[in-house]
Amino acid sequence: MLCKQDLETPTIKAMLNTYHASKLSSNQCGSSLVQTIDAPLPLVWSLIRRFEYPQGYKLFVKKCNLLDGDGGIGSVREVMITSGLPAGVSVERLDKLDDDKHVLKFSIIGGDHRLVNYSSTITLHEEEEEYGGKTVAIESYAVDVPAGSSGDDTCSFANTIIACNLRSLAKITEEKVCKVNQIKL
Amino acid sequence: MAGICCGVVGESGETSSSSIEPTSRPSARRSLDLLPLRYIAADVSVPAPENSRKRQKLDRCVSSARECENAVQSSKSKVAKAVRNRSSKILTLDSTSPTVYEGCLRYGVTSVCGRRRDMEDAVSVRPSFCQENLSQDDKKEFHFFAVFDGHGCSHVATMCKERLHEIVKEEIHKAKENLEWESTMKKCFARMDEEVLRWSQNNETPNCRCELQTPHCDAVGSTAVVAVVTPEKIIVANCGDSRAVLCRNKVAVPLSDDHKPDRPDELLRIQAAGGRVIYWDRPRVLGVLAMSRAIGDNYLKPYVISEPEVTVTERSDKDECLILGSDGLWDTVQNDTACKVVRMCLNAQKPASPVKEMAVDCSDKSCSDASILLTKLALVRQSSDNVSVVVVDLWRDQSMATTKGIN
Repeated sequence: MLCKQDLETPTIKAMLNTYHASKLSSNQCGSSLVQTIDAPLPLVWSLIRRFEYPQGYKLFVKKCNLLDGDGGIGSVREVMITSGLPAGVSVERLDKLDDDKHVLKFSIIGGDHRLVNYSSTITLHEEEEEYGGKTVAIESYAVDVPAGSSGDDTCSFANTIIACNLRSLAKITEEKVCKVNQIKL
Repeated sequence: MAGICCGVVGESGETSSSSIEPTSRPSARRSLDLLPLRYIAADVSVPAPENSRKRQKLDRCVSSARECENAVQSSKSKVAKAVRNRSSKILTLDSTSPTVYEGCLRYGVTSVCGRRRDMEDAVSVRPSFCQENLSQDDKKEFHFFAVFDGHGCSHVATMCKERLHEIVKEEIHKAKENLEWESTMKKCFARMDEEVLRWSQNNETPNCRCELQTPHCDAVGSTAVVAVVTPEKIIVANCGDSRAVLCRNKVAVPLSDDHKPDRPDELLRIQAAGGRVIYWDRPRVLGVLAMSRAIGDNYLKPYVISEPEVTVTERSDKDECLILGSDGLWDTVQNDTACKVVRMCLNAQKPASPVKEMAVDCSDKSCSDASILLTKLALVRQSSDNVSVVVVDLWRDQSMATTKGIN
């Protein structure tokens, strides 16, 4: 488990227990990653929730087409991956989108890669003032361990991608806040 | 088509002669187009016609995936026609009038999209990009050749193509008499990497047509294999898994060593830095990138570094040619095979009776033919990547130098 904060706050613990406690089957592995973001929660959520536009904050996305649905629950997207990575296409379905509790869940249901039975949960919450009062994004996942690979290696790969995306999310939203503040001055 | 290309490797010179025919028709057009420029060139000391021709060729390749694929298809259709009209090749040769540029190395460049969706390779050829003036009568000309294989997008490779030769030139001039090639090239690569980093951080307008937004630039990078050819030396600086190979006395001599993550010393370096090499579909740094060194790729630092490995090779009368290529070439064509193909192309252009001027002029065409043939060989062997090839004829230049010595 990667944690930007050294201390796991009570709210983070609660969120992990509530939304990120998926059970792993025998040949699966999984992990959770936490990213603190110094930007308003509604702004951050507006990027996460756009299922049809993952390139709004995710790296490695060249293009995205909706194969089914309009971006709501049940929608299926086809994500074209940039070159250099061990994947060309990823087909993903939106399983849950809760705008009140700020929870999004999606599964990878196809494509040319080795992530089988991959499912992911992303949550957003605001920390209490005594713990900094910032926005916190948590992403957890579960995935089959591919034949010939190990749980450690699979998690290392998935963690790298997710960590890049969460850092990118923080960078983009924090930069937007900076620009808005500059205009106000 | 497959038979023609594969036949070159195993069979006699006659077969290699026939395999060159596919390019005779395009060459005829090129020759005709060049005629008007030849008169202009007479007034210009720099070989501008060659530069403009090469640049157009590269731009055409980069313009779009479809055009590149069409170009490959059209060249295949031309093959069939060319095979039927053998006489056109003879006509082409007859219509060529020799032009000699002293001090200019003969070279050929081919860069194609291949089976990949997008073109992310870039090639930079800068003949006589730098001069060392010893006296009025003795000028040492330095020549710059480089192949950049981009990943994630093309703009890092494009930046390298546009900037790296200028950085090298600046650093050579700074060093003056104390030129030490290894430290100089390492400094150049570090400067290039810094420019890429600065560009991605400043959110400047990208110099390519990619749809990616600027925050994605952290995940874009490129290989870089650079060769600087001087009258006495060949300096190769490599970062990534493109490659430079010297053909010397019929033997393939690697001048670079691919930076794959499972190369023992690279594996140790990555692990010492706290990183990890994961065998996913092949060895990849953190399971993501299939090379251990690259320009750019900020998100994978310090595991993926931009420091080049530098080799300095003394030139020899036995040197025949230098080949630079992206991994789209080397994944399917072995060093020895590439040298055989190029040697056959270069030798096939030498006339039976040694007409010196004719041979000198034709060597440019033979270099182009060699690079085209290598590219086609890679594509026929199911290379699934962009393919970029630079072929430099080293033999003739040495011969001219020898001639000067005699005088």
